[in-house]
Amino acid sequence: MKNDFRNGFIANIPIGISVFAYGSVLGMIATQKGVALYELVLMNIFIFAGSAQFVIVDMWSSSLDVIGIILAALMINLRYFLVGASLNQLFIGTTKKEKFKYMHLVADENWAITIDKMKTQEITPLFLFGGGIALFFLWSLGTIGGYTLGGFISDPSKFGLDFAFVAIFTALTFNMYKGSSDILPWFIAGLTAVICEHFMDGKLYIVIGALVGSLSATYFVKEEHGSD
Amino acid sequence: MEAINLQALLIILFVSIGTYSLRVSGLLLSNKLVNEGKIKIFLDYLPATLLLSLIVPSILKEGIVGLVATAFIALIIYKTRSILLSMIIGVGIVALSRNFI
Repeated sequence: MKNDFRNGFIANIPIGISVFAYGSVLGMIATQKGVALYELVLMNIFIFAGSAQFVIVDMWSSSLDVIGIILAALMINLRYFLVGASLNQLFIGTTKKEKFKYMHLVADENWAITIDKMKTQEITPLFLFGGGIALFFLWSLGTIGGYTLGGFISDPSKFGLDFAFVAIFTALTFNMYKGSSDILPWFIAGLTAVICEHFMDGKLYIVIGALVGSLSATYFVKEEHGSD
Repeated sequence: MEAINLQALLIILFVSIGTYSLRVSGLLLSNKLVNEGKIKIFLDYLPATLLLSLIVPSILKEGIVGLVATAFIALIIYKTRSILLSMIIGVGIVALSRNFI
């Protein structure tokens, strides 16, 4: 349990390399868009959400559309509500203070790695937090590096690094497979996401796919009775 | 030194508060719910359905290469359970196809 922080930190370093690379791209764009370094650092510390920060910087201009940017960024981050909800098992028996403390540095990456770890090992929220700290350092290093040094990794997609996120999330998803009862809700989630992504602007498809998929599970999957 | 841009700070402030509220309120709400029956199923399926919603559109956009990489990832997970190895192979396949095909 004492090592949870360290283990979480280490477990997030491989995906953190991609986080670092994309941070450098964001930093580079931020320079071009006229974002001040302190503004970038404030975003890293207080928003700490990669795709939302990309959207904010992308929409940045000399005359800021304050409401538009806030809404666009929060729309992307809506999924964190579901991410938070899915962490209820990890936080069982913790105090409110611990919840408030450890939830800030929750990103897609350390969340997914934590959910995966929970299946095989008894872990505490410190594992999640350790991962968040690792990501925070690599994200800050990447963004500030890209901002001050320019695009030292100007095209991470050339090295397939954009696919690193997809690959690791795909691996984690397959690792969650429990049996044939998963197939239908999983299919419905994926299909809903694809359809919504095609017909809707923004990133709302993530939340809708997850909601529809999980709701379908409550309909199609039988409740377990006394299996433990 | 440029002047402090209040509008920029306002954006950062509100997105920060909003994002943190989303993270915390999801957890607090699910802790209030009775974790059994349909609610348990819903929450149990949430990680996988969220991940699938993130990845499936991205994989399809990658085309055939995306599907090949996904098949290899599935195979490696099945054989080795190694997340790291499957990530390396998946990225390798996509990188190779982008640079040499």
